Amino acid sequence: MPKRKLDPLPIAAFHILLSLADEDRHGYGIMRQVADQTGGAMRLGPGTLYSSIQSLVEEKLIEEVGSREDAKLGEERRRYYRLTGAGRKLAGSEADRLAGLLRLARAKNILRGDYV
Amino acid sequence: MSEKIYGLLLRLYPARFRQAHGEEALQLYRDRSRDERGLVPRLRLWLDLVADLAVSLPREYRRTGPTLVSASAQPGLNGLPGFRLLEEQPPRTGALLSAVFLALAGLAAASVLINYGGSHPNSHLWQAKPRAQQPDRSAATGSPSSSPAERSSVSAQTASAPPANSMSGLDSQDGVSASVPPSQSKATGQQRAQTPAAKAAQANPQAATVAVEGTPMDAAQRHKVINGAVANLRQYYDYPEIGQRVANALLAYEGRGDDNDATDADTFAVLLNQQMLDVSHDGQLRIRYHVGGIPSPPAGPSIEELARYRAELEENNCFFSKVQMLPHNIGYLKLDSFADPAICGATAAKAMASLNHADAIIFDLRDNTGGYPKMVALMAGYLFEKPTHLNDMYDRNDNSTTESWTPAPVKGNRLADKPAYVLTSSTTFSGAEEFSYDLKMLKRATIVGEPTSGRGHIPIGRRIDDHFEILVPDRRPVNPISKTNWDGPGVQPDVRVKAAEALETALKLARAKSPQH
Repeated sequence: MPKRKLDPLPIAAFHILLSLADEDRHGYGIMRQVADQTGGAMRLGPGTLYSSIQSLVEEKLIEEVGSREDAKLGEERRRYYRLTGAGRKLAGSEADRLAGLLRLARAKNILRGDYV
Repeated sequence: MSEKIYGLLLRLYPARFRQAHGEEALQLYRDRSRDERGLVPRLRLWLDLVADLAVSLPREYRRTGPTLVSASAQPGLNGLPGFRLLEEQPPRTGALLSAVFLALAGLAAASVLINYGGSHPNSHLWQAKPRAQQPDRSAATGSPSSSPAERSSVSAQTASAPPANSMSGLDSQDGVSASVPPSQSKATGQQRAQTPAAKAAQANPQAATVAVEGTPMDAAQRHKVINGAVANLRQYYDYPEIGQRVANALLAYEGRGDDNDATDADTFAVLLNQQMLDVSHDGQLRIRYHVGGIPSPPAGPSIEELARYRAELEENNCFFSKVQMLPHNIGYLKLDSFADPAICGATAAKAMASLNHADAIIFDLRDNTGGYPKMVALMAGYLFEKPTHLNDMYDRNDNSTTESWTPAPVKGNRLADKPAYVLTSSTTFSGAEEFSYDLKMLKRATIVGEPTSGRGHIPIGRRIDDHFEILVPDRRPVNPISKTNWDGPGVQPDVRVKAAEALETALKLARAKSPQH
């Protein structure tokens, strides 16, 4: 068996999972959503984006749901991706893990404030 | 123009990546360059791309391991027409690094110059059409200040692109991923897909005109090229009727004035390819424009190249990547290429001997990139009790047909009456498709997986003039049972499942039939 490529889950892959949590998106849609949800800090380039998508598809964390046009972006057909049940579960446990880290950081007085 | 540069940079990625996501990556680039206009956003876009390339390229190579590079098996090497041979081989690290370095250097210079040139008022004087007519394509408008830099990045790319130098000796006419221009690589990867450049040309012919890049072409020069293409299509295309139709279409388009906007050689080539594809639906049929002249055909593999090929085969166990007995006495063989039986016959015999007592056998061709018809016949031979007619190869050049039969059965072989399964994927290619198709037609195996890539016939490059070349498939397989082949839609599986699930499915089927069950 090949070793799991996404263990630990890279931050880009985690963001892609999050970006697909509310709706199916195509590559450019994912890229823009990730930029949005990170306040513009993370702009995934095509190589990183599709490399991550490929890994996520291989691990069945997301799946392709066919191609269609995006009316907002013209007539080109685009491949859409969807979060799978396994992907949702993994994103959840990753979020739990990060939340645990944050609680720890706060307990150690490294992080202040009321978030998480 | 900058899309072209990015297209070239994409060629640095492993073939697997390009096939899976090359078109999407280009699309993403187009989306961003459409949405992020102006000097600063455009610079940021290119910085992002460069950073992305630097980060993702090494990772992609580590991730996928060896990349696919391609070469055709030398036709006539063994007296038979060769299938295209795709071989697993990673590019050398040195070549890769220098390619990245040169590309980045050229790219940085080009992107700055494009942006500067594109927004510099004087540049308007040099442009064939005013910028106002194509607000969307500011980066695509060439200006004299940018052209040399772009060229340098392009030539640096070409010179050091890693796959280009591998197996060139065995590459008789046609490299798929190595030497296809980026605008056409999609057409190679997925036959029916429109090339992005062609789409762009269709959507906005003026923009294509303004991309002052290649050699200018006037109507008389275009006419000569069209005449050359027409003559070759009529004489050589292995489906004569379609060849005739494509030829007529090219002449009709020209007569209607459709070609008038293609005033440079590159654009013209892209346009002709689109016109041919529309009629033929054959991604293998295409025209190439070589800026530096058509390279002289290789004289055949050199001794060193043959030695290297042999060494690689030995290193890779002749592409028998897995040979094992699975539970329930099911034999499993993963074969990633049908290598030359003159070199790999013994390896094949050993592999098959180790599976001889299996109650069922699974041939996993999901990653198989094709190879030698003789190896296809040799492997298929284990499934028959007597020599069996597998396939015919029709050659339009001399109107001849070469038959392919399985060899006389190996002594002691027990697999001839055992259930057989062939696992396929959408990348199962060429000779591997023949194996699957032959066995399917003979009802000797159950094909499990995805439809294959659909490459049956074999193109050969023919010269139109010093720079234009037309790749015309002139030989095609004709199955003795179906009287046709798998061109286009590919071999259709008997049991259609995702490639990733094919083994599991085949095992279930085999277990259901197993005598121990």
